[in-house]
Amino acid sequence: MADVLSVGVNLEAFAQAISAIQALRSSVSRVFDCLKDGMRNKETLEGREKAFIANFQDNLHSVNRDLNELERLSNLVGKPSENHPLHNSGLLSLDPVQDKTPLYSQLLQAYKWSNKLQYHAGLASGLLNQQSLKRSANQMGVSAKRRPKAQPTTLVLPPQYVDDVISRIDRMFPEMSIHLSRPNGTSAMLLVTLGKVLKVIVVMRSLFIDRTIVKGYNENVYTEDGKLDIWSKSNYQVFQKVTDHATTALLHYQLPQMPDVVVRSFMTWLRSYIKLFQAPCQRCGKFLQDGLPPTWRDFRTLEAFHDTCRQ
Amino acid sequence: MGVTCVSQMPVAEGKSVQQTVELLTRKLEMLGAEKQGTFCVDCETYHTAASTLGSQGQAGKLMYVMHNSEYPLSCFALFENGPCLTADTNFDVLMVKLKGFFQSAKASKIETRGTRYQYCDFLVKVGTVTMGPSARGISVEVEYGPCVVASDCWSLLLEFLQSFLGSHTPAAPAVFGNKHDAVYGPADTMVQYMELFNKIRKQQQVPVAGIR
Ligand SMILES: [Zn+2]
Repeated sequence: MADVLSVGVNLEAFAQAISAIQALRSSVSRVFDCLKDGMRNKETLEGREKAFIANFQDNLHSVNRDLNELERLSNLVGKPSENHPLHNSGLLSLDPVQDKTPLYSQLLQAYKWSNKLQYHAGLASGLLNQQSLKRSANQMGVSAKRRPKAQPTTLVLPPQYVDDVISRIDRMFPEMSIHLSRPNGTSAMLLVTLGKVLKVIVVMRSLFIDRTIVKGYNENVYTEDGKLDIWSKSNYQVFQKVTDHATTALLHYQLPQMPDVVVRSFMTWLRSYIKLFQAPCQRCGKFLQDGLPPTWRDFRTLEAFHDTCRQ
Repeated sequence: MGVTCVSQMPVAEGKSVQQTVELLTRKLEMLGAEKQGTFCVDCETYHTAASTLGSQGQAGKLMYVMHNSEYPLSCFALFENGPCLTADTNFDVLMVKLKGFFQSAKASKIETRGTRYQYCDFLVKVGTVTMGPSARGISVEVEYGPCVVASDCWSLLLEFLQSFLGSHTPAAPAVFGNKHDAVYGPADTMVQYMELFNKIRKQQQVPVAGIR
């Protein structure tokens, strides 16, 4: 919230800076006016020159003063904070037409709401874990108790921590290579290459996976300007199907208190696609059904099934 | 491109080449495959010119210059069991200049033409192989686009081939064997076509020799 407040302070500085720019412009135009008018009629030539020079000097001084003022203000305004919890969308607060586009306030509402939701979900999951019959789950409940009030701040983990988690996962699976980049500020994007089978683009927000797209090993994953292409889908039906399943997996692997475990589980599940073209369906025993290999991987056993052969 | 398997489909008993092709394409259409334009693969044979042969009395090697409509800007030059060169289509002009070293074998041009079919991620090309004016056989090419390693998807390809070739399903192409987990490339397809064309040429020579 401190960040949001500081944006408010900046707004004041912005308003001042804008009026300083206006002042500078008018003083500059006064200089040119003075030059345009030239020497006004005075009794003596000397008097004319003197008055003109004095006038010109005054005008230049005021230009100098206004410029200094603007420079001072521009330091106050500063660079928009990169670490703003809403990233670049925080800049929406600078939009002056609040009444027509109340996007920023809506965004703040949504952000607060999702934070609250996550917090409550965390509490609920802690409670539910204590009630569980499974011993392993019980232990998890205890550990959740030990650190009460799981922080809802998992959305703003330091980038270094995210880097560490990802590089640990990268080392865990030799046939899987993960390349991390941050083309848009603090959010990480992963390019996961699984053997010579497929490539996955993973869009992260902190340690949460927002979006994932699966493409073929021989397909282009970059746009024309060399950035990761997070919008276009694969040309092959099999990878479109796997993309759908991966999105389902994102919804399945949820553990609000331990986002790193979620990422690891997701990657473990994803790794089972190394045999995408080699594993027959565990139910019907065939490779193909409607021209597609078994694209589904069971979330627990990682066994291969056709989309229509899973329970 | 993905992994491709090229094979020959024997002409059905009591049927012409054309009729067998029609039978096959009808089967594909029943399966749900959709027509998607046509294709053509051609091949010309070149002898090493006699004047350039070494004094060791080695036999002239045959070189095959091929084109594939799937790669309209490329030209492929292959030796049997030897390297395969992928070049720009300008290579044809170069061959004319190299007349002193490589001579085109007379009436050696062999080609296959037919229809492309798309079925899910599979691309199927059924073609009529012709040498000069006469049809000599049927080629069946199946490409599985998503996969790049031949050994990874051979079982899957085999299942697909069986679904419309039945008892005429081919064995794994020889080029698959020596690739291990290397990425499959267009040149591998051309090698398969070269082998298919050579096989069909030999099949034709037998009855001709019998008549003499
Ligand atoms: Zn199945």
